[in-house]
Amino acid sequence: MRIALLLLVLASALLMCLGAAPIGLFDVKQPRGIDFILRNSPTPQKYLIETMPGGVALLDYNNDGLLDVFLVNGGRVTNPMQPPENFDRKDKRYWNRLYRQNKEGSFSDVTEQAGLANAGDGNYGMGVAVGDYDNDGFPDLYVTSYGKNILYHNNGDGTFTDVTAKAGVAGGGWSVSAGFFDYDNDGKLDLFVTRYMEWDTKHSKTCGGEWHTYCPPEEFPATTNILYHNNGDGTFSDVSQKSGIAAKKGRALGVAFADYDDDGFTDVFVANDGMQQYLFHNNGNGTFTERALEAGAGLSEDGRRLSGMGVVFQDYDNDGRPDVIVTELPREIYGVYHNEGNGTFSYGSLVTGLGVLSSGSSGWGVGLEDFDNDGWKDLFVAQGHVLDNVEQIDPSLHYLELPMLAMNHNGRFERADSGVTAPIAGRGAAFGDLNNDGWEDVVMTALGSTPIVLINRGGQQHWLVISLRGTRSNRDGLGARVRVNGQTRFATTAGSYLSASDKRLHFGLGQATTAKIEIAWPSGIHQTLNDIHADQFLEIREPEKP
Amino acid sequence: MIGALLVLWLAWQTVCPEALQHMQAATEAEKQKQFDRAVSEFQKVTELEPKLPDGFVRLGQAYMEKHDYGTAIVPLKHALELAPDLAGAHQLLGYALLAQGYAAEAIPHLERVNEQTALGIAQIETGQLPQAVTNLQAALAKHPNDPDLLYYLGRASGLLSKQSIDTLLATHPNSARAHQALAENYFVLRQMPQAEKEFQEALRLRPDIPKLHLELGEVYAGSSQWPKAEEEFRAETKVQPGNAEAHYRLGAALLQQGKAREARAALQIADHLQPDMPETLYSLGKAAALEGDAAAGERAWTRLLTLEKNTSLAAQTHFALAGLYRKQGKVAAADREMQEFQKLQSPVTQPEAVQK
Repeated sequence: MRIALLLLVLASALLMCLGAAPIGLFDVKQPRGIDFILRNSPTPQKYLIETMPGGVALLDYNNDGLLDVFLVNGGRVTNPMQPPENFDRKDKRYWNRLYRQNKEGSFSDVTEQAGLANAGDGNYGMGVAVGDYDNDGFPDLYVTSYGKNILYHNNGDGTFTDVTAKAGVAGGGWSVSAGFFDYDNDGKLDLFVTRYMEWDTKHSKTCGGEWHTYCPPEEFPATTNILYHNNGDGTFSDVSQKSGIAAKKGRALGVAFADYDDDGFTDVFVANDGMQQYLFHNNGNGTFTERALEAGAGLSEDGRRLSGMGVVFQDYDNDGRPDVIVTELPREIYGVYHNEGNGTFSYGSLVTGLGVLSSGSSGWGVGLEDFDNDGWKDLFVAQGHVLDNVEQIDPSLHYLELPMLAMNHNGRFERADSGVTAPIAGRGAAFGDLNNDGWEDVVMTALGSTPIVLINRGGQQHWLVISLRGTRSNRDGLGARVRVNGQTRFATTAGSYLSASDKRLHFGLGQATTAKIEIAWPSGIHQTLNDIHADQFLEIREPEKP
Repeated sequence: MIGALLVLWLAWQTVCPEALQHMQAATEAEKQKQFDRAVSEFQKVTELEPKLPDGFVRLGQAYMEKHDYGTAIVPLKHALELAPDLAGAHQLLGYALLAQGYAAEAIPHLERVNEQTALGIAQIETGQLPQAVTNLQAALAKHPNDPDLLYYLGRASGLLSKQSIDTLLATHPNSARAHQALAENYFVLRQMPQAEKEFQEALRLRPDIPKLHLELGEVYAGSSQWPKAEEEFRAETKVQPGNAEAHYRLGAALLQQGKAREARAALQIADHLQPDMPETLYSLGKAAALEGDAAAGERAWTRLLTLEKNTSLAAQTHFALAGLYRKQGKVAAADREMQEFQKLQSPVTQPEAVQK
């Protein structure tokens, strides 16, 4: 026994001396009860929708303190599609699914009892946004589709009601990522919906000559995004034209929110596919001005258009200002736009090391989360090529890929082992602390596959998880800038691709056992809390008065 | 030649008036592009004057004008039996045989009249590639930029190159050069794993062959394996310290990895070895800017813009300068560069404003 112990110690010491890679951060799990398969229904017809779903949301829909999982499904696609389009969403296999987390970590499928079973036969599912639009303390769901979108009001009793018609947010066309945010700081969450292109199955094309591939976005006309203003009475007004959002057509796939110029109003970054990216600056008067080019965040370093897909709008280098990372196709390298603080961005893909990590990959869902709680936000990207036959066209590229985990060392990213060993066609990704241990977990979707759940193994570093309770601001404080021991997070559930993350704000504290918290609420109120103990879940209520 | 003309002259002296009438009618029909009638009239000439070579030549020519090359061959051959030195008959027969795929048979006739274009084409078909290249080059010198000639010369050169490589592979299959040739072929076919393997084998056999490391580096760069590309480009700079491209490629690979200082050093060497290379200057500017030396970045890019005006690289450079000025807070200068960039841009990168 003693010899065995000695050998173990020696082996550990040897591994440390050799600089062996540490054991991966995550355990890859198939949680009991989650039996969802993302059915995208690929056909020889190569309808473009088939390669684009699907989203995932991490939300605590029943306020029991445990994150639940909502997954968006695609639908059945026939070859060819006949009008009227029918994606057979009544068939259980094509339902979206809500999985309630049980106390012991398993999940129960509560889709039917929650009233989320039928997403409409004419709707091919895409993504999901989460926000408490009526400030009743229960998160609501907005599901996007090729077809009509659906707003599900959370009734607070474990059920949801489809209130789309009353709310006036059905959209139409091909909606993709969406997100709730409060653009006018009136305390009510508004809704931004990206739309990909003017496309329908009747006007579908195939490209790629003998290889028969999905078409590039340039083959179809661009379209506008939608901004809905929350009227506060359960209805929304389409202010896309009035706000200036519809003044720009694009081919949007991703959207993220943050106040990049610190003027107190939340701005919008839209990841466009195959063209310039859009940065909608919030003018503070209900209108937006698209400024990506002049701000230096519209194109690659060489002035080339990008295949923007997923996007995250958070501060990766702890300078207090939100930066942008856009995931793209191979050979383009993921775009890192460093916020310079004067309303402009500089291109940081090479200097952060992300260029070399991403040049052969296709990225979709993306998050900047401090997975090792060292005080620096790390990068996770769900990856997989758009084309399911890309190897025939370019053998150096791959349809199925491993996700990217890149650890942040003082603003420079280095590849790490995500723990996933089988390549997948990764798409959506949501981030949150599933098991409430203070360490961020990941749920990722993959075409034709069950979701991949990565449970953080944890470690010795300290952490803090903050829930915001807005009073003058929207109830969840979305849009607040929260600074903890020099790190900054912008409260949001949006970002990534098609997905919605835990609304709670997670901070890794490294060795620190206490924290100073500074919050700039959307209402304009600033709040500071000192000497807060580490390793706790903390709800912070917005002061009623400034 | 004089003998052939004499034969023809003597033959015409004895032609009967009826044959002459048909000859005139055939010629008239040819002028009016009535080739069926021309054939019919020439046939009558050959029937009335079976010893007259010109009648058979003209009949063959009429068939060829109808694109009936196979039928043209018989009267043309008969004409040459009557007058073996008849140049026109050799030329037409050579064309007709070539058109019908009898390249080997066509060659002696085309050689007789030194018809270099058709001869070159026939020689491609028969695998006489060095001769084909020579003849086609000579023809191209007389007719520069002729698309057919350019095509056939390209084809002959390519086949000659392939023949040479095939010989190499057959006679020295395990040589470094054979592996290099195979690797280059795989590279063109974008079969990168095979290309990598063959380049590595070539390097194992002869690590001192110039450009081998450069080519292997390109394989890695093509699949974005930048650390490996860096290693190969660096090795090439050791084999060929005076090769500007090797230093440029090394700098570019380092730049991709964010190693600005090292990249800049390599690019400075490339710039020294081969000044005023726009690509080097562009990357040099990027490396300098990445390293925080805005002035050096600006210098490199400004220099580049004296060399490149309306190219995509010039557009990129204006865009890069805009970023540099923006970072320095020089708003007006950044806007000016963005305007220049946008002027040179294709419509696809322009934001799409809603059509009212």
